[in-house]
Amino acid sequence: MTTRRSVNSGSLLEGVDLGAVLLYLLIVLIGWVSITAASYNEEITSLFSFSHFYIKQAIWVGLALIVALFVLLIDSQYYHRYAYPLYLAGLGVLLLTLVAGSTKNGAKAWFELGSFAIQPIEFVKIATALALARLMSEYSFSITKVGDIIKSGLIICAPLLIVILQNDTGSGIVLGSFLMVFYREGLNKWLCIPVLLVATLFILSFVLPPLTMLVLLLLVCVLSEMMITRQMRSRLSFLAAIFLTAFVVQALCSLFWPGKIDFYMALLMVSSVAALGVAIYAFRAKLAATFITLALFVGSIIFLPTTNYLFNSVLKSHQQDRILSFLGVLDDPRGADFNVRQAKIAIGSGGLFGKGFLESTQIKNGFVPEKHTDFIFCTLGEEWGFVGTSFVLALFCLLILKLMRMGERQEEPFGRIYCYCVASILMFHVLVNIGMTIGLMPVMGIPLPFMSYGGSSLIAFTILLFIAIRLDASTRRFSFNK
Amino acid sequence: MIDRHEGFLRMRTLQAIVLLIFAVIGLRVAYIQLIDPRYKELARTNVMFSQVEYAPRGEIFDRNGNYIAQNRECYDLMVIYRDINKHGFDSVRFCQIAGIDLPRLRTRLKQARQNPRAPFLITNFLSKEEKLRFDVGGFDGFYTVSRTIRSYPTPIGGNLLGEVGLPSENYRKLHPEVHPNEYIGRTGIEKAYDYVLRGKRGIRVLERNTHGALKGSFMDGIFDTLPEPGKNIVCTIDAKLQLMGEELMAGKVGGAIAIEPATGEILMMVSSPTFDPDRLVGRNRSRTYAELLQNPRNPLYNRAVQGRYPPGSTFKLAQALIGLEEGVLQAHDMHPCHNGYSVGRGVKCHSHKSPIDLYYAIATSCNAYFCYVFRDILDNKAHGGVKNGFDVWHNYVESFGFGGRLGSDFLDESSGALPSRARYDRVYHGSWNSLTVLSLSIGQGEMLCSPLQLANFAATIANRGYYYTPHIVKQIEGIDSIDSRFRERHYTMIDPKHYETIIQGMWDGVNKEGTSTAARLEGFDVCGKTGTAQNPNGKDHSTFLSFAPRNNPKIAISVYIEHGGFGASAALPIASLLEEYYLTDTIRRPALYQRMKELKIAHPNDNKKKRQ
Repeated sequence: MTTRRSVNSGSLLEGVDLGAVLLYLLIVLIGWVSITAASYNEEITSLFSFSHFYIKQAIWVGLALIVALFVLLIDSQYYHRYAYPLYLAGLGVLLLTLVAGSTKNGAKAWFELGSFAIQPIEFVKIATALALARLMSEYSFSITKVGDIIKSGLIICAPLLIVILQNDTGSGIVLGSFLMVFYREGLNKWLCIPVLLVATLFILSFVLPPLTMLVLLLLVCVLSEMMITRQMRSRLSFLAAIFLTAFVVQALCSLFWPGKIDFYMALLMVSSVAALGVAIYAFRAKLAATFITLALFVGSIIFLPTTNYLFNSVLKSHQQDRILSFLGVLDDPRGADFNVRQAKIAIGSGGLFGKGFLESTQIKNGFVPEKHTDFIFCTLGEEWGFVGTSFVLALFCLLILKLMRMGERQEEPFGRIYCYCVASILMFHVLVNIGMTIGLMPVMGIPLPFMSYGGSSLIAFTILLFIAIRLDASTRRFSFNK
Repeated sequence: MIDRHEGFLRMRTLQAIVLLIFAVIGLRVAYIQLIDPRYKELARTNVMFSQVEYAPRGEIFDRNGNYIAQNRECYDLMVIYRDINKHGFDSVRFCQIAGIDLPRLRTRLKQARQNPRAPFLITNFLSKEEKLRFDVGGFDGFYTVSRTIRSYPTPIGGNLLGEVGLPSENYRKLHPEVHPNEYIGRTGIEKAYDYVLRGKRGIRVLERNTHGALKGSFMDGIFDTLPEPGKNIVCTIDAKLQLMGEELMAGKVGGAIAIEPATGEILMMVSSPTFDPDRLVGRNRSRTYAELLQNPRNPLYNRAVQGRYPPGSTFKLAQALIGLEEGVLQAHDMHPCHNGYSVGRGVKCHSHKSPIDLYYAIATSCNAYFCYVFRDILDNKAHGGVKNGFDVWHNYVESFGFGGRLGSDFLDESSGALPSRARYDRVYHGSWNSLTVLSLSIGQGEMLCSPLQLANFAATIANRGYYYTPHIVKQIEGIDSIDSRFRERHYTMIDPKHYETIIQGMWDGVNKEGTSTAARLEGFDVCGKTGTAQNPNGKDHSTFLSFAPRNNPKIAISVYIEHGGFGASAALPIASLLEEYYLTDTIRRPALYQRMKELKIAHPNDNKKKRQ
């Protein structure tokens, strides 16, 4: 077998994981069928009218396949070599949208070339993944070094910041999913957990009172630091000391300025002073983990009192409404909740086998918004039922697991990290996009990979995936030829 | 860098997390699609838009197959506010076409705006021409819904037919199946036979998109039901006789009813004053209705079945029958009368020869004679006491259908009044006798009857002792026979042979000598009895009870005219003309006809201003 392979060493498809390609093709095909159903309009009779979304999407699929071939043709070392230049170019383009971009759905995140709109962040994700893989695969890189963590953090945060400025936070948050990559690369799990918890707290801050938030934050940070350093007694006494001091401070203050200082203020003051001490201690003792949890804590504290400010300025009103309605704070059936409700109705009405191709009632009558783009899963759910949705979920699950396996069989850390980046991006998109249609996630305008209508996103995801396949293929070629 | 083993463990952890996330999503999708039934229901209510299709109401024919209540097509003008083209909407032209004034249109649109996706009624009763003009006008957001309203080829039977209208809140509580915009019968035949006439409304389930725009049947119409038209009714009324009756009763207040004795079918039922039922249809309805309510003569009150009048002398016939049956009276018993009965408080009478027999007493309507008869019945020793005698009398009277509802198809039939022994015991503290209640002998006092009861009494005499419950419906489309209660003979407690005796008296009164000679019709042996009923409100009521011909009677009639004076002066000529018209199909006495038609009789209410 090996010998046969080696004969075809120049062949394009050699070493290419055909299983992954097949999964990709299946998902794209199902996506196209769903777009056809979502945009099918009985009133337009000419079958090949160019105004049909499914005709346009068919062209995009063809284009994506050609792009995929090109990606496979390029030697894998170029991806490593040009990772940084691509990243920097990507940042440049992203910055350019701030100046010259056009606005869609309130986000100034698009370039329009005629009738064709590109969302640069889709492509910057690829560059970021490549850059991150390049940085983290360097021999000198250590996941335990504070400086290295901060460097890799910066790679992620730079595009994130621009995207937030573009008012396209939803697309940017995807980059947060790289936590999965960090974990795989050995980031202390007691650092991963507080990051996740703090992210959760951030969402919950809209419903929790500040004092509860502060107490929870203190507990999360100090306890996770305790788990890393294994210094149980001192950390627990530290916690106790902070709370006790806060009590005393509040008691004393109420003697002199009654009613001015509540417990929240006292705790905030005490923990701020304590944070300063901890910083000095961590710096002297060179405790990286302590330093990072402290940074997390201080960062959150800075955000927390200003949560409302942040919430109001960074998230635009429709996003606020979506998050609030998701959290159940806002209950307005015709408002923000309406879309999610209609999405659930469309999916739920599909039942086991669905209503059949082009037989939808909810989709066809326009009850579901963005039915061919962000809510494409609803079309699938209504017309093909649980059979269709579970099939697509299985395809995505297999593809993501396959990407992780591809990463694991890479010789070089670069390839592994990149594959994990792709897996985490896909996982995040699938979770958030499908999650929002079934009410598990707040509504964020991010597409379902390979399925949502739109050339820019389809081609970007295709490149993202096929670079991973290409990297994998060269590893396999190498091993076959050995 | 971490070692291979740690890396492998972490990969496994991440795989587990990925699988866990997909499991959560998968379970949630399964829950929504397979377990929770709400979404399927919600999906249906989302896109389903039910449009009511009103059933055309059953039409009403008279006994000869002529229409008396027909259907006319009209249109409700509806709007869906959000679909109005706000810039291109020419409200002035719209108002001209729809026949609505601008301020009213504005208020309706303001109301429609509160629920801009829902259909809202702008105005109703658009005619076909208006609808066509409206369709050409092309007003976005407005559309018409077809339905039927009543139309009456002849202006008869206002109270008899009754009116059709929207159901009240209370009605809807009792009949939850009725749609708030569906017309129901509110009085008369329309009410009594509403369940037959109304039909069943249908529903068209249309598919609606998120903007509320409709696009044809939902699921190819599997949820649709067709409206079931109401069933037609043939009623027992003779439209020509009814028209004649209403003409003759015009200007008078009262009721006139004609019954076919052999069947109990009501040939004519006039309540005067009446109204043209067409005026209670369509846009003029509320104005007409208010006007009718304001009218001091109360045209909306169906006197023919709801009226409560003293029967007066017509009741002497019942008295005679009871006396004969009881054996206290023989046809040839002679009683004296010198301008009245002088025992006790006494009863006056007009002058006539004395003594007289029963035939003559009936023919000339002698008051004194029936005082003797009545007292003989009550004081009959066989019953042991006046009060027991009264009970016997009471039972006889009840068997004629007095003092209770006859059970006709008119739901608002009055039961009249028949005093009971208990009532007198209460009023007179137990001490009373036949003299105390003497006014009952001539149909006065506490005794009250409706014209329907009196007509039924005439039919009973004509039948020599039985009656069919009077009814108005002869045939219902698709139903083989009318209600069995109308095919059942009700016998009185009097032997048929005694009827011949009083019929002889009635015949004498018309054809030989007496108060009813004006009712004589050549060739038809008319039998009749006048009545002149005293009442506390003013001039005597005039009434006449008659049937013809004597053998094999075709028509029994009762005419009651409030404050008409002598029975012979107002009620008798009208009854006679009606009999003549019914039996011969012509009017042989045009002068009398003309005079009676034009006769106006004053009513005490005329001077009262009615307040609502």
